[in-house]
Amino acid sequence: MRVTLLDLGVGNLHSLAKALEAARAGVTVTIETDAARAVSAGVVVLPGVGAFAPAAERLSPAREALARALVDGRPCLGICLGMQLLFESSDEGPGDGLGIFAGRVTKLATARTPHMGWSPLAASASAPAWPWPDAVYYAHSYACRAIEATDVVATTELDVVRRGNTVGCQFHPEKSSRGGLALLGAILEEIGA
Amino acid sequence: MSATLRRIVVCLDVDKGRVVKGVRFEGLRDVGDPVSLAARYEAEGADEIVFLDVSASSEGRDTMLDVVRRTAEVLFIPLTVGGGVRTVEDVGRVLRAGADKVAINSAAIADPALLTRAAACYGAQCIVLSIDAKREPATPELPSGYRVFSHGGRRATDLCAVAWAARGVALGAGEVLLTSIDRDGSRDGYEIPLTRAVVDAVRVPVVASGGAGAAEHVASALRESGADAALVAGILHDGRTTVSSIKMEAHRAGLSVRSAQDTR
Repeated sequence: MRVTLLDLGVGNLHSLAKALEAARAGVTVTIETDAARAVSAGVVVLPGVGAFAPAAERLSPAREALARALVDGRPCLGICLGMQLLFESSDEGPGDGLGIFAGRVTKLATARTPHMGWSPLAASASAPAWPWPDAVYYAHSYACRAIEATDVVATTELDVVRRGNTVGCQFHPEKSSRGGLALLGAILEEIGA
Repeated sequence: MSATLRRIVVCLDVDKGRVVKGVRFEGLRDVGDPVSLAARYEAEGADEIVFLDVSASSEGRDTMLDVVRRTAEVLFIPLTVGGGVRTVEDVGRVLRAGADKVAINSAAIADPALLTRAAACYGAQCIVLSIDAKREPATPELPSGYRVFSHGGRRATDLCAVAWAARGVALGAGEVLLTSIDRDGSRDGYEIPLTRAVVDAVRVPVVASGGAGAAEHVASALRESGADAALVAGILHDGRTTVSSIKMEAHRAGLSVRSAQDTR
């Protein structure tokens, strides 16, 4: 299985590449700096480190092409910031996301931010039968919301979203030990097969 | 989003590419290799690994980057690297090698704006302010009664630990790694009043460090100080206890931790 890891300019992609390869046998990872070229190759992975505005800017020349490819069924996994880029916009900074999911990214209102560490993961009853780990690792200060923040009356931060072959994960499966790798492998299997 | 679990962070001191201070593991022959030790601790249920580079030379620093690179290929939990980080470029090098977070200590004391520049470049979530503090009689200049020391705890500064933690976080640090010099290596338990004071003063996660002599110390430090995480080194390395024993003890103390068995 071919996986194209889109280099959004910040952070280390090396360990994510290794995690993707360890998650599922037969995965070969290519790191691509040109978002336009990522559109045409295998599973697109949007990695999870950095800030929204520079990443959105990096994405902008290929934004429409990539968004169209995802709507047409090109498999894509967005991790942390990568998930946030699948939404429309972010309070963290200017720029457009891919808009695959309707909604906005807003600052966490928790007592301690960044939300950094392991939290239990409770998949909903309708969730796919993936090997959900009991706990996963998060490192973020912003979170995706499916509706306008002003309408929110209860906590609605999203952990995992899926539409067709596009999956977004707020936590870092590649940093969530073997349970995280098992989940990563299952997601690749499901969307990339 | 559910509550964050308390973390057990395992620290390895690395000098010229080797773990210093004896590390004893049954069945693991090459006990000085940081890469295999980090992986071993992940398998035992550690929530995070810290490499502290204690090399004095620039040659040692280059070796450290290679160690980080090789570790990042096999470690699938977060890795924090500290020691000798002086500039934003240093932060970038360590992150690009594969670390998830970089701990800054003396360089932030000399140039506090470094925290702001590093956080602006890479995000607050990967900038850890590392503080070494020592107890002294409280004075108007030192209201907390804890003084910050730089250069590996050898040089006294004018900074009050609690005020410095608050300032460092305001400047951009996304986590505080707080070591009690008095307790470090003592195995008498963590310095709970210091830890609690810093936990109360900042709104980012705090990692308590220094003084673990038994699993009970870790559990009571987490419970009584409110720290998000506890750093453990010597008592794991010499086999006095294990990560899973610490987690069981924490669980018994009513704390939520990630099950050491949930490693599939």
